Amino acid sequence: MSTPAAATTPATDPTLKNPLVRVVDLVKHFPAAGGLLSRNIVHAVDGVNLAIEQGETLGLVGESGCGKSTLGRVIVRLLPATSGHLYYKDTDLTALRGEKLRRMRQEVQMIFQDPYASLNPRMTVGDIVSEPLRNFGVSRGKKAEQRVQEMMRVVGLNPNFVNRYPHEFSGGQRQRIGIARALVLDPAFIVADEPISALDVSIQAQIVNLLEDLQAKFKLTYLFIAHDLSVVRHISDRVAVMYLGKIVEVGDSESIRAKPLHPYTKVLQSSVPVPDPDLEAERKPILLRGDIPSPVNPPSACRFHTRCPIAQKICSEVEPPLERKENGRYAACHFAGQL
Amino acid sequence: MTALSLLRLIPEPGKITSGRILYGDKDVVQMTDEEIREFRGNEVAMIFQDPMTSLNPVLRVGFQIKEAMAAHRRFTSAQAEERVLPMLQRVRIPAAKERVRDYPHQFSGGMRQRAMIAMGVSNEPSLLIADEPTTALDVTVQASIIELLRDLSRELRAAVILITHNMALVASLCNRVIVMYSGRIVEEGPTRAIFKNPQHPYTWSLLRSMPRVDEVGHERLVSIRGLPPDLSKMPPGCKFHPRCRFRIDKCLTEEPTLDEVDPGQYARCWVLMKNVKNPEAEAQK
Repeated sequence: MSTPAAATTPATDPTLKNPLVRVVDLVKHFPAAGGLLSRNIVHAVDGVNLAIEQGETLGLVGESGCGKSTLGRVIVRLLPATSGHLYYKDTDLTALRGEKLRRMRQEVQMIFQDPYASLNPRMTVGDIVSEPLRNFGVSRGKKAEQRVQEMMRVVGLNPNFVNRYPHEFSGGQRQRIGIARALVLDPAFIVADEPISALDVSIQAQIVNLLEDLQAKFKLTYLFIAHDLSVVRHISDRVAVMYLGKIVEVGDSESIRAKPLHPYTKVLQSSVPVPDPDLEAERKPILLRGDIPSPVNPPSACRFHTRCPIAQKICSEVEPPLERKENGRYAACHFAGQL
Repeated sequence: MTALSLLRLIPEPGKITSGRILYGDKDVVQMTDEEIREFRGNEVAMIFQDPMTSLNPVLRVGFQIKEAMAAHRRFTSAQAEERVLPMLQRVRIPAAKERVRDYPHQFSGGMRQRAMIAMGVSNEPSLLIADEPTTALDVTVQASIIELLRDLSRELRAAVILITHNMALVASLCNRVIVMYSGRIVEEGPTRAIFKNPQHPYTWSLLRSMPRVDEVGHERLVSIRGLPPDLSKMPPGCKFHPRCRFRIDKCLTEEPTLDEVDPGQYARCWVLMKNVKNPEAEAQK
């Protein structure tokens, strides 16, 4: 293991007793669209350090294009990393190939955003949920059938519906099918990428509550990715805030609410309305100038400096490292806590 | 759909089968084609969820705003031309002078929505219908669009209809609220009353089904069981009864009327939340 003695990144947070997943200096670059001659690179994930404690939910929040989904996909190895390391327990996943990688995949599963696009419309629900069992040679026939029915009950679907097709289900029920498929191999770690944002508001709470119940029941560890800070804070023990390929703040949900350290976290928090007309009459959102810059050509030094309300000269010259500010809290800002 | 009806924009084969839409003392349903054109362009502006599908991709943004003004003949072409840049500045498009000649794809989502708003308010309407205007936008962009709508409606003294699924946005922007379920108004009243003292179980549950960004500690969300009904196969009685945790026998057979429950507040419910003991515990069963 390559843990440096001076443990100052969130990947080596000493307050975590039992990290299940550790992400160290992870980078994911894509060639930018624009043809063969284009040398442009999309800096989707640019040097991320994170750890996820056994049994916790880590929320990953950020706006569109910040790289949060890419990071999730690299962590489950749906995408290869450009550089950096990814430890699951103590195994470096980035070095795994073949049979060992396959075995790891049983323990790490993903729930997707779009319950319409992530289920094969030509397969029955039974086939969809049992496919991982067949792929990994876990069980077949009667045994697999029993397991599928058990999983359907667990996620709140009628087990008699195994022979139906995805189109016969509503969005919320389809998301339950996706969850059953993710759980059928009895994984330890789940990456859930915007699992409720495609659903009707009246259905979202059903899925949030289900994910919480399943976590308690099966001792799952979650990485919960979403753009909505309220949902992320609600479901997560700790929260990581991402901006343009970088993590800018990490800390426990409650202390981030009480005192955001990074100006971007503060801006995000102030932008979200609350369902209370009296509080809304008082709330003054901190408005940002301009739009999120392109990850092809991110700003120098601190990537937020072009829009930050408290940016100084140093912010465009020296990149602030994501460093420990308080116990268990990290922020990448020269003026943390000053907005 | 209700908003589209207001402008008589319902796609075929849908139609308004009965009822009246009174704007001042004119009935929109009875207007001639010429009158409805005037009404749509000069009195009402509509802002849609997805600005990219509402803007023509092959025409410059400035030209489209000018066209919208000229089409309704409130301004001559030359006047309209002159008004384009101030309109873009008014909706706070940065470096508006350089952006007038841009095409929609060169704009970000937030800027496109600003351009749509500029187009909508360019004729100084007295009614602004915003249909999920920020749903496709990031939350920091949403905040600035909502500020813009608030300021513009004050400057224009225009009424605003905000159509949204986001209750927090309602609390932020609206004086009064109408809650709809399955094609019916189920609750209506001043914003403060609706949020502090909701009487319809649907309103009550919706408010507790969404996590709040200022939540302290962890409270389990109230989930609304089941699904919204298929509009072609509506249940008998109250349309919400299959999902309601507080229903009584009467709800299964008889549809409630929209009755005043407090001064200015109306609810369509036989039970009403004020008559439910310990609703929180009931809702978690």
